[in-house]
Amino acid sequence: MTTAGQAPTAVPRGTRGEPSSTRQRTPVDGYRGLGAMVRLVLRRNRVRLVVWVVALAGMYQYIVSYYRTVFPNQQSLDDFAALSNTPGIKALTGLSPAASTMGGAVWTKGWMTVALALAIGAVFLVTRSGRADEETGRTELLRSRAMGVHAYSMASWLVTGALCVGVGVLLAVVSIGGSLDPAGTGVAGSLILGASVAGIGLVGVGVGAVAGQVSSTSRGANSLGSTVIIVLYVLRMIGDMGNGALSWLSPIGWGQQMQPYGGNRWWPLLLLLALSTVLLVAAAQLEARRDFGAGLLPQRPGRAGAPVRYATPLGLALRLQRNPIIGWTVAIVLGGALMGSVVQAMTDLLADAGPGAENLLRGTGVAALLALLVSMMALITIIFALQTTLSLRSDEASGIIEPQLAGAVSRWRWTLERLAIPVVWSAVLLTLGGFLIGEVYGASLHDSSQGGRLALAGLAYWPAVMVFVGLAVLLWGYLPRLAIPITWGVMAAMWFITIFGEVFRLPQWFLDLLPLSATPYAPLEPLTWTPLGIMTLVAVALTWLGIDRFARRDIQPA
Amino acid sequence: MTTPMAVEIEGLTKSFGRAQALRGLDLQVPTGQVTGFLGPNGSGKTTTIRILLGLLKADGGRASMLGGDPWSDAVRLHQHIAYVPGDVTLWPNLTGGEAIDILCRLSGPLDPHRKQLMLERFELDPTKKARAYSKGNRQKVALVAALASDADLLLLDEPTSGLDPIMEAAFTESIREVKAQGRSVLLSSHIFAEVEKLADRVAIIREGVTVETGTMAQLRHLTRTQVAVVLDQGAADLATLPGVHDFETSGGQTTFAVDEAELPGVLAALAARRPRSLVANPPSLEELFLRHYGNELAGLAAGSEK
Repeated sequence: MTTAGQAPTAVPRGTRGEPSSTRQRTPVDGYRGLGAMVRLVLRRNRVRLVVWVVALAGMYQYIVSYYRTVFPNQQSLDDFAALSNTPGIKALTGLSPAASTMGGAVWTKGWMTVALALAIGAVFLVTRSGRADEETGRTELLRSRAMGVHAYSMASWLVTGALCVGVGVLLAVVSIGGSLDPAGTGVAGSLILGASVAGIGLVGVGVGAVAGQVSSTSRGANSLGSTVIIVLYVLRMIGDMGNGALSWLSPIGWGQQMQPYGGNRWWPLLLLLALSTVLLVAAAQLEARRDFGAGLLPQRPGRAGAPVRYATPLGLALRLQRNPIIGWTVAIVLGGALMGSVVQAMTDLLADAGPGAENLLRGTGVAALLALLVSMMALITIIFALQTTLSLRSDEASGIIEPQLAGAVSRWRWTLERLAIPVVWSAVLLTLGGFLIGEVYGASLHDSSQGGRLALAGLAYWPAVMVFVGLAVLLWGYLPRLAIPITWGVMAAMWFITIFGEVFRLPQWFLDLLPLSATPYAPLEPLTWTPLGIMTLVAVALTWLGIDRFARRDIQPA
Repeated sequence: MTTPMAVEIEGLTKSFGRAQALRGLDLQVPTGQVTGFLGPNGSGKTTTIRILLGLLKADGGRASMLGGDPWSDAVRLHQHIAYVPGDVTLWPNLTGGEAIDILCRLSGPLDPHRKQLMLERFELDPTKKARAYSKGNRQKVALVAALASDADLLLLDEPTSGLDPIMEAAFTESIREVKAQGRSVLLSSHIFAEVEKLADRVAIIREGVTVETGTMAQLRHLTRTQVAVVLDQGAADLATLPGVHDFETSGGQTTFAVDEAELPGVLAALAARRPRSLVANPPSLEELFLRHYGNELAGLAAGSEK
């Protein structure tokens, strides 16, 4: 009990109701220990930081060298610029003011990816040393020492900010090294390029910092931060498809408006830096006022009971994997619609492109292009199918399988119900993806038969996807601890060989044996049933063997 | 399907690679009784329970649970058992209430009344996401799910780890109710007081082998009663009586241990000396336990004397 006039010794900060103490901490004290914390953040993230810098700059460098061979002349660059000016591409990457130069082409391909990846990466890095450590209690240990309230967060903001600047500098170097600036403009465009990406990254640091104060869990902070970045991206997307006004509401739009290789404007960078500063100051203010471990967003209470359907392995899996299922479906819908919308423009481009393109397409004409796009849908669906299949192993590894199997559920039933998700929903995704490519492409031709035709071409990949699922189940049955890495490794190898196999001149009989290549390359090739039947049988056999083994072996936690 | 033994295990063996977890374990859980299952870390308690759950397959020996085979009849048997692990893993994005419903319904129909009763008894908020629960609250989720069922056999693997004393009392009360209903419990625990309070029988294991088993009374027979007396006259000659051990005298008080069989003779000799006070304690489970791990204790003592 405290009597009136006697200041309580511990004042809960940020509580509602009666006004809390007016005593403030001395601002300087808040940063005590900053140097040690910077070293800690660097030490904990040194590999991560290097990987981010190398991956982003390396990707840009790769695009530069690749485009040098794909676009050998001005004619092909002009065609690419025309493609960039279609609604689909404009929405996805924005339109470069210098679209028909080499710098503009590389910008169109790489800038948005690098900028978005850096911004979201910044959110994750800030959360990692911020809310995540607070949640696990590591920060509590640090704060119990003579360390300022802001020292740890400020250290992670500084390090992540330095990462953004580093990526920007390297991009400028890549751009200068690749002579991406149009002749006679010096290196201004290259510097603007680097600055625009670094600026967006710094906004990402600010967004991550505020998200980490607002949400009380690291998961919440990461999803809030990335959602904000994605909303800003979509805002810009809508703006770029209209008159551009909405793009000015998004910092990503400001980065675009720096117009590397074109207008070469510096002043939007000030907007980016100002926004980043405002966000960081707000985050520091919130941090000074709130209780340790608390956030602004309350933990929402959930249901006190579960519906009956959750008590089946399938019902529970559908609830737990709801978000990935919806996410992959949205990705397929957007991807299919986008691919369908660029078919017409890409056909023109391909006519002027070098001979490499025809190798990749395994043929000429629009049918070859459509077949390639449909196979892309299969490549995306495989990730979904394997992710949901491998969740069986993750549940076993985490031990969460034990209470379920301690219930009256057999291992066969548990596995078969869980596999229903990849089996059924892969078919839905493949059909949906093919259908949307066809439907959107067909709309531009006023040909409504395309949707059904390509839906069938997409569905033809189902047996191939199921072979991968079967392989994953087999590995899980026999080599549970290695199932996850081997499966993803095999998938990555397949992806690579399917896309580039012919370029490597691998023997044809080998390629024909791979599930994706064994699938009829519709609509370029006619649909034939023999390979599909054989692959379905192989998939069933692999799955059966895998479950049979799982039903007989010990449960093996990680 | 009432059998005299809810669990009957004979000569059970299980190896993980080269490490032998069980080397011929015997265990019996009589129907309608609480059987305590004691052993140090790594002695094979959890492995035994996992074999009973059909999660692991025994290499050799015989195990039967509720008259069935734990491995091949797993699904049928699991309709009649409930399990509480010592370290509860839950789905982080589901609430505790949802997890309870799921776990209960996987074995049989859910009794909402009993669920509510147990939620109140264990003071658990079912609307919180599992991610936000402390260790103790996650433990409560598994306990509520197990106790809300009408399972014939409860397999409890250190079920009270992380619970506060009040919740431990709620647990004790619940297990007594279970026993009163004629259901069986296998209670693996480190807490001697808990096992002493609840268990009708105890099995003590060590390095995968059962070293002692029987009712509490039978086990006490195997060991010595602790006696403390205050005598006016000298007591040194007591030390020479048969069955007297660990004899010590300090400041008028004499303490020693007596073998169960020699107790009448020693008491008669004591009575003749007109003791001013006398306290006799039956051996505690803890002493029983420690006696079986005397080797380790001796090792520890040797280590500290170096």
